[in-house]
Amino acid sequence: MIRFKVNGTVRETDAPPMARLLDVLRVPLGLTGTKEGCGEGECGACSVMLDGVPVNSCLVAVGQCEGREVVTVEGLAHGAELTPLQRAFIEDGGAQCGICTPGMLVAAEALLRRNTSPTDDDVRDAIAGNLCRCTGYQRIVDSIQAAAAAVRAKTSKASKASKAGGETGA
Amino acid sequence: MSAHAPAGLARTEMVCPKTIAEACAVLAQAHRDKRAASLLAGGTDVIVDRHLMPIEKARPLDLVVDLTGVDELTAISERDVAGERHLVFGGGVTYWQLRTDRRVLAAIPMLDAMAKDVGAVQIQTRGTLAGNIATASPAADGVPALMALDGVVKLVSEGGARTVPLDQFFLAYRKTVLAAGELIAEIDVRVPLPGARVTWRKVGTRLAQAISKVALAGVIEEERGTITRARFGVASVAAVTHPLGGVRALAEGKTFKALDRATVDAAIDLEIKPIDDVRSTGAYRLHVAKALVWRALAP
Ligand SMILES: Cc1cc2nc3c(=O)[nH]c(=O)nc-3n(C[C@H](O)[C@H](O)[C@H](O)COP(=O)(O)OP(=O)(O)OC[C@H]3O[C@@H](n4cnc5c(N)ncnc54)[C@H](O)[C@@H]3O)c2cc1C
Ligand code: FES
Ligand code: FES
Repeated sequence: MIRFKVNGTVRETDAPPMARLLDVLRVPLGLTGTKEGCGEGECGACSVMLDGVPVNSCLVAVGQCEGREVVTVEGLAHGAELTPLQRAFIEDGGAQCGICTPGMLVAAEALLRRNTSPTDDDVRDAIAGNLCRCTGYQRIVDSIQAAAAAVRAKTSKASKASKAGGETGA
Repeated sequence: MSAHAPAGLARTEMVCPKTIAEACAVLAQAHRDKRAASLLAGGTDVIVDRHLMPIEKARPLDLVVDLTGVDELTAISERDVAGERHLVFGGGVTYWQLRTDRRVLAAIPMLDAMAKDVGAVQIQTRGTLAGNIATASPAADGVPALMALDGVVKLVSEGGARTVPLDQFFLAYRKTVLAAGELIAEIDVRVPLPGARVTWRKVGTRLAQAISKVALAGVIEEERGTITRARFGVASVAAVTHPLGGVRALAEGKTFKALDRATVDAAIDLEIKPIDDVRSTGAYRLHVAKALVWRALAP
């Protein structure tokens, strides 16, 4: 039995240790948000976060995940509340057919967790391993920048509020 | 319903050692038991290979030794060798670590530039230096960069350890000195002196996810105008990553002014015979390699 956390919950699988994480997520665990495009690391459709960093789940053996933590696209939203990235992809046309979208969201989420003020070059570097045949990428870059701006606005509001709170307290 | 594994891996056992010594012991035991065993790090070469392999050709593997839980292999440390500064990378150091480690960024920005050119982020977070070296692809990016930095690999087995300079590690196309039971524990590189001219140049079809047509790493150091060190690693122009020892011999001890392009080009002609393949032609590769070497040498 291989045990690891998926989207916050401990899951178990009796899959062979060299089975691809991608297949374990999609078949026994039923998390079909993660897509298979190429199966050889080129397209990023299968991107998930493993211990917080983006990886291609088609190139990870599930046995390597023992005791680790996986976040898939299903684990991004808090219940019905979408993340700023998910909202921006909807509002700014970051998703068309949608096949690349789960991988894009995971790759972009990993970027925003380490850098909420990315340049367009940073954004393009972060999604260089995610192929999209529909959007021409510009709308995806715009969506990610819109989400980054939303995250920055929220944190600056929060820090202003806590500062104001601190002042009244003093 | 269960999930399948790539060709020949459905019945493979996996062992996840925590230390280098443990990994070596498992490898040695597998060897004694005549079990087909393989090391696995980021899987970005192994798993792709197995996935694309026709099932009837896939030799089943009995055992995979997963190295991703061995913390010693992901360490980056510093050491002083005869008054010179060296960085030591565990074999499991990833490209992503090179891109984010402050010491590496400050001491050898060339490694950051190289790592950024490998695949894309999802490959960089998994792919390791030892995996790149052991695969021994003539188109590897990590290898030429480490070679130009006078890389030396430390090979460890149950029986002990030995060190091999990277420019003596590759014997022929995808053949290396790595013996059964050995793993790459460390790669030691010399930090170029302040003021050194350090080059990384990868020429490919697109910036991300492209295999190089030619890649060149170079370290040129001078003392009062005389070239004291001219080290290279060049990829995709020969069966193995090439150190261009002839150019090194020609340049070291001379001023740049005393070198001429025709002589350097002739030295390169003697060393590499690039081939035509799906990515490029031999003639283009030779032309680009010569231009890159000259630019690396020039102040
Ligand atoms: C989409 C894609 C893009 C890529 N782009 C590039 C690129 O731009 N440039 C480039 O150079 N490469 C590229 N690669 C190839 C690959 O990512 C690199 O070669 C990487 O460094 C391999 O490391 P790994 O840890 O994934 O190796 P693995 O696949 O885990 O192992 C590779 C080999 O090394 C052996 N091995 C692993 N660790 C050790 C060790 N410590 N000691 C001894 N042997 C060991 C394994 O047994 C195996 O034979 C790409 C791959 C993919 C899938
Ligand atoms: S399916 Fe994994 S990268 Fe394409
Ligand atoms: S939206 Fe269709 S591939 Fe990206």
